[in-house]
Amino acid sequence: MILRRLSVWIAIGGIILTVTTLWGARDTPPAPPPLEEPPRNPYASTVAASGIIEAVNENVRIAPPVSGLVTKVHVQVGDHVTQSQSLFQLDDRELRAQLQTRQDSIPSTIARIEEQKIRLKDLMDQLGRLQAVEDRRAVSQDDIQRKWHEVEGAKRALIRAKADVRLARTQRDEVKILLERLTVRAPRAGTILQVNIRAGEYAMVGAQDPYILLGDTDSLQVRADIDEVNAPLVQPNSSAVAYLKGSTERSIPLTFVRIEPYIVPKRSLTGDNQERVDTRVLQVIYQFEKPAFPVYVGQQVDVFIERSQASKNVVQETSK
Amino acid sequence: MNFVALKMLFGDRAKYLMLLAGLTFSTMLIVQQGSIFWGLMMYSQSGISNINAPVWVTDPNINQVDEVKPLADTAVTVVRSVPGVEWAVPLYKGVQRARLADGNYQQISLVGLDTATLLGRPHTVFEGAIEELRSPDTVVLDQWAVERLGGPDVIKLGTVFEINDRKARVVGIADTQKSFQNIPFVYTTYERALSYSPPERRKLSYVIAKPIPGVSPESLARRIEAETALGAYTDEEFSWKTIRWVLKNTGIGVNFGTTVLLGFIVGMAISGQTFYLFTVENLKQFGALKAIGASTGMLARMILLQSFLVGFIGYGMGVGLATIFGLTAASNEQLPFVETWPLLGGVFVALLGICSLSSAISIRKLAKLEPAIVFRG
Repeated sequence: MILRRLSVWIAIGGIILTVTTLWGARDTPPAPPPLEEPPRNPYASTVAASGIIEAVNENVRIAPPVSGLVTKVHVQVGDHVTQSQSLFQLDDRELRAQLQTRQDSIPSTIARIEEQKIRLKDLMDQLGRLQAVEDRRAVSQDDIQRKWHEVEGAKRALIRAKADVRLARTQRDEVKILLERLTVRAPRAGTILQVNIRAGEYAMVGAQDPYILLGDTDSLQVRADIDEVNAPLVQPNSSAVAYLKGSTERSIPLTFVRIEPYIVPKRSLTGDNQERVDTRVLQVIYQFEKPAFPVYVGQQVDVFIERSQASKNVVQETSK
Repeated sequence: MNFVALKMLFGDRAKYLMLLAGLTFSTMLIVQQGSIFWGLMMYSQSGISNINAPVWVTDPNINQVDEVKPLADTAVTVVRSVPGVEWAVPLYKGVQRARLADGNYQQISLVGLDTATLLGRPHTVFEGAIEELRSPDTVVLDQWAVERLGGPDVIKLGTVFEINDRKARVVGIADTQKSFQNIPFVYTTYERALSYSPPERRKLSYVIAKPIPGVSPESLARRIEAETALGAYTDEEFSWKTIRWVLKNTGIGVNFGTTVLLGFIVGMAISGQTFYLFTVENLKQFGALKAIGASTGMLARMILLQSFLVGFIGYGMGVGLATIFGLTAASNEQLPFVETWPLLGGVFVALLGICSLSSAISIRKLAKLEPAIVFRG
């Protein structure tokens, strides 16, 4: 009876349609997986930080001792240099010219010594002859006395001539040292990180940017920034792990070096002229062995520092 | 007896159709309005559902998802330090202005995803690839941006436009849930979103996080709130917060509520009245039945059978019509229309209420019925 009515069938059809539509309607689709694995905390409890990789000995900004024209740059970016290896050469023509003059003045002073020696010998002979005369009346006492003085004067002149030679040599050495100074050398072994000067350019003393940046890329360290809110949670000597941005499969184990005792304002990269300060951070320094994969100075890392049980209790107490 | 009841019901075709029409359209009105209402609510929290992250961390005083209160940059590491966090990444979200080559302006909702992981990215990309976001000056648009910025002929892969006077190149078109104000979503990387947006003291809009296995998003959110000075919500809590805000601050709730109530009242009035007339007209028959020994209870059962049967048919036709409306008029998400199980259940209960009320009136009439009525006039 009921089943013969059209309206009943329409009603059943309506319900079936609705139910199937609703069943087929999208549930929220599952979130797509991350493109790269996000950095994950490897410890039971952690203090997370953002860090930057630096050379262990802070980078050296090589400066010239005097302003001058650069005639030759001896190194390229990436070169390993030993201590006192020459880095670049300033124009030295003026000093070379001076050196030539100084050099050439030495023989004349040396000749002067010989000259004085001969003169002295001559005067001493004369004095000897005068003193050898037996007869006191033949030679006046005054002549002998005067000759004696001449001899003494010549002796002093010889000393001065010798001193003149030394002075000329010293003056020559001074120019040599000044010349030497125009070759800028590495103060210690390291790697050339930047070269900002080329032959033909004028190097100024006190320039803003370093002409050559020397660093040690073999032993690196991480400077980890921790929000001052979490600063009490950090214990010295806690172990830590760093992940390079974008490659989180490979971790870099870190060894504790020190906690910087002064809390600094965090710098945000805004691309703006002025820097804005919105929070202050505690900086912790960690050292690490250079891993098998490439790591560069200046690269950003995500750092996870192990939080000790004791410091966890502090949080719970403060949160109450 | 049931046979007689059905015969009575279907016998009077005009009244039967009248009854059916009342119930059908009442159901359809409630379901359709309810679905549009829920669709609008889904639009309002599209900012959350499009990102699809388990836990949202932000300022504790936030009202809703589109009203961003930015955090300090270090909030990401603070959240990572909370036990039970599997990952936490930054998210930028803000409304910016896009300018096209032809001079057209359009508001866009700029979303900056964590550069390495692109967590929070859309689940479906129609054209291009989301990985391309790692190239310089690239963005991924959604289908609404294509529509709003000039259609698929103007906006395609490789199109270059400007966001706040900075170059943006389209490398993908993704599927997203439309937003309440129909502001299209434009995805880019976090760092690039910062450079697109004008200078501000703080820029980190949200930190999105996921709990480790074994920790529920709710407990993680509570733990983040306890250990940091930040506000944390699961995506569901945040959705409801946004929906509550919309209901409180706009007239939408009252509007749709009134319509639904009207649907209910009209449905009840029509069906109640028709059903009552129906009973009154058949009083003689009922009287005869009573005269031959049928109890009031039996008559009541007949009435209820009639009422619930017609109610069921009306419900089926009503939800069917509403679904057809949803499938046709609201196709391509041009109209917000989201039917839900609770809505259908609620309408069914409401309809049962309508039927019970209208049969109650009729049953009251029958209870007082004298069998002798058969023999009168």
